[in-house]
Amino acid sequence: MSAKKVLGIIFSNAYDEALPQLTALRTMGSVPFAARYRLIDFPLSNMVNSGVPQVGVITKSNYRSLMDHIGTGKPWDLSRKREGMTLLPPYDTPGAGITIGKADALYGCIDYISDSQKEHVLLVDCNVVCSMDYSKLIKAHTANDADITIAYANGEPPVINGGTELVMDENGRVTATRLIDCYSGSTCYSLKVMIIRRTLLERLLHEAHSAKIVDIETMISKNIGHLRVYGYEEKGFVRVLNSLQSYYDISLELLKAENRKELFSADRPVYTKVRDQVPAVYGIGANVKNSLIADGCHIYGEVENCILFRGVTVEKGAKIKDSIIMQDTFVGENSNLSCVIIDKSAVVKPNKTLCGDSSYPVYIGKGIVI
Amino acid sequence: MAVKPECIAMLLAGGQGSRLGILTKNIAKPAVPYGGKYRIIDFPLSNCVNSGIYTVGVLTQYQPLELNDYIGNGRPWDLDRANGGVHILSPYQQIKGTEWYKGTANAIYQNINFIERYDPEYVLILSGDHIYKMDYSKMLDYHKEKNADCTIAMLEVSWEEASRFGLMIVNEDGSISEFEEKPKNPRSNKASMGVYIFNWKKLRKYLIEDEAKEGSGNDFGHDVIPAMHAAGERMFAYQFDGYWKDVGTISSLWDANLDLLNPKVDLDLNDDSWRIYSRSPAAPPHYVGTDAVVENSMITEGCEINGKIDFSVLFANVTVEEGAEVKYSIVMPGTVIKKGAVVQYSIVAENAVIEEGAVVGESPENMKNIEDWGVAVIGNGVKIGKGAKIAPDTMTDSDVGGAE
Repeated sequence: MSAKKVLGIIFSNAYDEALPQLTALRTMGSVPFAARYRLIDFPLSNMVNSGVPQVGVITKSNYRSLMDHIGTGKPWDLSRKREGMTLLPPYDTPGAGITIGKADALYGCIDYISDSQKEHVLLVDCNVVCSMDYSKLIKAHTANDADITIAYANGEPPVINGGTELVMDENGRVTATRLIDCYSGSTCYSLKVMIIRRTLLERLLHEAHSAKIVDIETMISKNIGHLRVYGYEEKGFVRVLNSLQSYYDISLELLKAENRKELFSADRPVYTKVRDQVPAVYGIGANVKNSLIADGCHIYGEVENCILFRGVTVEKGAKIKDSIIMQDTFVGENSNLSCVIIDKSAVVKPNKTLCGDSSYPVYIGKGIVI
Repeated sequence: MAVKPECIAMLLAGGQGSRLGILTKNIAKPAVPYGGKYRIIDFPLSNCVNSGIYTVGVLTQYQPLELNDYIGNGRPWDLDRANGGVHILSPYQQIKGTEWYKGTANAIYQNINFIERYDPEYVLILSGDHIYKMDYSKMLDYHKEKNADCTIAMLEVSWEEASRFGLMIVNEDGSISEFEEKPKNPRSNKASMGVYIFNWKKLRKYLIEDEAKEGSGNDFGHDVIPAMHAAGERMFAYQFDGYWKDVGTISSLWDANLDLLNPKVDLDLNDDSWRIYSRSPAAPPHYVGTDAVVENSMITEGCEINGKIDFSVLFANVTVEEGAEVKYSIVMPGTVIKKGAVVQYSIVAENAVIEEGAVVGESPENMKNIEDWGVAVIGNGVKIGKGAKIAPDTMTDSDVGGAE
């Protein structure tokens, strides 16, 4: 089956609570990542690179920055007359509050889903960073004649709300799902990337709604006995963001060439909103080692093991180590930073020292002046 | 049509730029890469948008493929519009026969119908060969204030250089009293920048007359403007002061790029209120490795730097391996510089490969005779073999074998 017959759905708000600092003012989807991206760029680009022609982006709250970022979907080539990208704001029916689970959120846009007339629906979250070829998942789904296929990774599972382990038979058919606790050890954990027959999804959503079930995991596990549910193993670079610490660690993992190669392969470009900034400028005395730097940066100081987003300025004599500095932040002369995450447009005045630890990075909020 | 534009721009982008040699073998001069992520044409196009001019005709003739591709529907410059926007205008077949654009004025003459569709009061004529930031709306205000028929942007150049330009002798009120085209003994240092505003009805009349004239070169500077002047039309000069560079030669292209690294040069590309837009590839942030040294340089997204970079401009997706050295050079997108290679005082075009230990270019201090020094140029996709040496002031357009 071709990816053309698939409707993509991206949950921009799912697991916001895992990154409370970074999502205080924005959705998970608009969390800045990897020097020039927002998390939603990865699933959106994956959709496009896998040939999925129609994508709905479900939002819940604080989605102004997300709208600003994705606009009409032009950078992903998804601004179309037919199909393309649609932003799905919360749908508040009388008696219903703000959506609390993914099943609930999907029920809110059930008309959009059925109007698409696609055969299958592909559901993905924004806190899973990967360059995944969904067309392979779709292929496996069709080959197994499955009702539902869930992508999983094999390894130490991230601890996250609703984290699920897949129990499979020798054919990869899922016989049970189990909630993961912190003692699970290495296992096959769900990446919450799943493809499901559209008509089945609609039926399950109606049932879940009347049974007041709000999350997808419960909805599926209740029906696992009489549905053909399969697992699909994703072997590439996949990381699940489940805390500020994991955000920090996963970001710095991109300093390794092999990880970058997998996430940013030339034939699967990651698209993002264009900012039209000049290339990064290195001044006399700049000293940069093992770092990822975006356009628009001005560097006159020392930078080591860092990720610098677009438009960051590092003044003379400033030293930044093991840190993540977001868009348009200014680091003054002779300041000393190590193991910090600084959000957008913050200012560190000259001669300041801020130190976290690699096991406990310090977070500085958006626009804070120190 | 909806709201009628007051002024539309016609951008002459058909030039070959023959003095750029192999760099313009397959592309027109306005498409030549500049400044890490731009092409020369980004400057006039961005100036138009920033000046509030949203209808731009781009006249192409020489090797238009890459330029057409680059401009596309004009999206990167916000010129994909329902009314106006950017239009590529190539010479086309007409009932009276087919002609190439014979000169700058003839190119506009052949597109009179395009301009008439918008029926503007004023037409701005631009060239796609220059790097500068200019607010054309201020020039238009000046044109209206002077009640001029033609306003020519001018720039004061140094007296030594003056004889290379078309010069103007300007009265106190800004009106032009005389023109001198590249004179041996200049009487003025006010040079024309090739930026003109005309009242469209007047220009139309002179274009038709010029076309009918036997032996006319159909050129603005040589024919149309002198004719208007001779007929006593109101001609004014508009003074521009700021950075302006004609990147017509290899050394001026090299200089203009390195100017971006000089804080004293008055060309600020970081100015949020006057952004220069470009079509950029989707490349990840650039990576600077543990053993890399990068100073005084501009590095664009997608680069992987493990060597030493000094006084250079690197375009997107350039790879510099361990122990390689790049100094005083311009390296265009996708080029790979392998271990231990040296690229100095050079311009390396797109997707070239400099193999291990090769040396491209030479520093002027090491020349026995400084007269022999010049920037070395490596063409598009050219491979320089292991340990090969490329002399300064040369153009290399085909693969060079290794020095085994």
